[in-house]
Amino acid sequence: MAGFLAGLLDATVRAATPLLLASLGEIVSERGGVLNLGVEGMMLVGALCGFATTATTGSPWLGFAVGTAAGAAMATVHAVLCISFKADQVISGVMLTLLGGGLTTYFGQSWVSETIDGFDAVVVPVVGPALVDLPVVGPALFQNTLTDYLALALVPAASYVLFRTNIGLEITAVGDDPEAADTMGVPVFAVRYLCVIVGGASAGAAGAHLSLAFSKLWITGMTAGRGWIAIALVIFAQWRPWRVLVGASLFGGIEAFILRSQGLDLSVTGVPFAGPLDAAVGFATNPQVMAMYPYLATVVVLVVVTRNSLEERVGAPAALLDNYSRETE
Amino acid sequence: MVGGYELTVSAREDVPRWLAYGTPVLTVLGALAVGAVALLALGVDPVAAYGTMFVGTLTSEFGVSQTLLRAVPLALTGLAVYLPLRAGLWNIGAEGQLYLGAIAGTWVGLNVDAPGVVLVPLVLFGGGVAGGLWGLVPGLLRARRGVNEIIVTLMLTFVGVELAGYLVRGPMRGGEGNFPVSAELPAAALLPELGTVHAGVLVALVATVAVRLLITRTTTGYEVVVTGSNADAADTAGVDVEWVYVFVLVAGGALAGLAGAIEIAGLQEKLRPNFSPGYGFTAIPIALLGRRGALRVGLASLFFAVLVVGGSSMELEFGVPAALVEVIQALVILFLITAEFFKRYRIGVERTRETAPVPAGEGS
Repeated sequence: MAGFLAGLLDATVRAATPLLLASLGEIVSERGGVLNLGVEGMMLVGALCGFATTATTGSPWLGFAVGTAAGAAMATVHAVLCISFKADQVISGVMLTLLGGGLTTYFGQSWVSETIDGFDAVVVPVVGPALVDLPVVGPALFQNTLTDYLALALVPAASYVLFRTNIGLEITAVGDDPEAADTMGVPVFAVRYLCVIVGGASAGAAGAHLSLAFSKLWITGMTAGRGWIAIALVIFAQWRPWRVLVGASLFGGIEAFILRSQGLDLSVTGVPFAGPLDAAVGFATNPQVMAMYPYLATVVVLVVVTRNSLEERVGAPAALLDNYSRETE
Repeated sequence: MVGGYELTVSAREDVPRWLAYGTPVLTVLGALAVGAVALLALGVDPVAAYGTMFVGTLTSEFGVSQTLLRAVPLALTGLAVYLPLRAGLWNIGAEGQLYLGAIAGTWVGLNVDAPGVVLVPLVLFGGGVAGGLWGLVPGLLRARRGVNEIIVTLMLTFVGVELAGYLVRGPMRGGEGNFPVSAELPAAALLPELGTVHAGVLVALVATVAVRLLITRTTTGYEVVVTGSNADAADTAGVDVEWVYVFVLVAGGALAGLAGAIEIAGLQEKLRPNFSPGYGFTAIPIALLGRRGALRVGLASLFFAVLVVGGSSMELEFGVPAALVEVIQALVILFLITAEFFKRYRIGVERTRETAPVPAGEGS
């Protein structure tokens, strides 16, 4: 059982990283007032561009940078359409997801059978060698790829920037009431551009992590819905970086459990109602049923948050989906 | 500020005729032009490839019937997005509603013993009811609690897809071996054939006309449109906005559910996981293209169906990934929403004055 738990924890960390990267970016984008439903497409483009670069040059860091830049480039399209051209954020985002899926399927075919070295798991220096042998938690905490640690480090960084710096407060202002922010002299359009592009860069980085560190392969459609989960996670975490860490661990844990629990005997005996209990446990731990949990949990959180005008208190951006225009229309 | 030139953006008072009618054509041509570049990148002659894609598809009996069959789920899910859109709501969960319809349609077909005349309508009815219930959840949440319908419809999509995956591996598994697939529907549950297509084509046609009549000829349709143009004003004018929200999402869900049941009873004949190639998502650009009327939704679904069917023959003949079609579809819409901006606003270049800086707050 300890072996199972250690493997599960390790897989949880690995599954949580792409969600964490993409969600942190989406938080920034949404806090600035722009919903980005293109995360899935941007992750795919980041994954393919990162993979192709690494396969060509041999450098995983260059690949990671190119993947990140590719995500940012796609997000720039979203920014131009939504912020400058005042297009509907939903349609632009969905189209970018379809575009990213189409482009990567089209151009990705020649990379499908390639292999790369990518990022290897490294042991944390100084304390790592002593602690990595800890039972259960050792490898999960002290032996990961550098991109895993980068994602982790971005949590306090994002929290600090969003809540403790000028630009963070400006982002919140622009996402809550762009008109008032404009009056106060905040450059609304520039801040929104920045937020959307940062969000896309994070999605691209998440994708690059998938192809360079997670699977070290390019597979068509390899994000497998993680971009949508990342969007769900933002709501689940109520637009807060630390809660995203909790949520990503939970959702990542579900993904890890689905992969690792096959063949695991979870049945109970000797307790009252063992039969129905077994059936219930069997249903609740069914892979397809478990895959629904993140989405159902997000709906529940959204309903609770929306009720009693909790939205303001939890920090939902009030002007999300509202394209700002200075003219009176 | 130094003297120079500045871009100015001002709202147009009226849209020039050439711009109003030319944009759909221009956006399609623009997307095809980008697609041609992608074809050249893979060393394929774009003219020959597009020839296969469009001319080949529209001049063969096989191509035309395949196009019609593809257009059925696209038109119905397109209407499922279109109807809420007229009320100002986004239903981006048509895919999930389609899966619910397919599940219910399959269940009715497998479990009800009746002659075809009764069973086929029951299968379709079951699909519509299940899809409608899947739309009822975001509808009620939006109407009663103000919960964002975009997120709820999106989340329920993935729940619906996983639900189908669960059912065909568990309670609804049938067929031989250990494959995740339901049993095959009995012949009585299958849609009757009309030449080379099935009766679902008629259903989609009737649904398109019905939605058009609903919007243009009925009080309910009028209330939907009024709510869509300004919900607050509609409320003040006495429209039951909550009811409109529930109605459009339930009716939209029912249309998507109908698409799912038709897909099973007309083509697939059994329920498989991930059987839909994303009809419910393609429905979003279709609804946007056709947002001025239900008949246009029908036309847009035909256009997208031609692209999809033509894309597969292009793949067969030239070895070009059919995913190019997804790129073209997405580009059509991205160009269209760009063009919308230029329709609404006039971009000019103005010489800025060399001295007097513009006082803060007066710039536009």
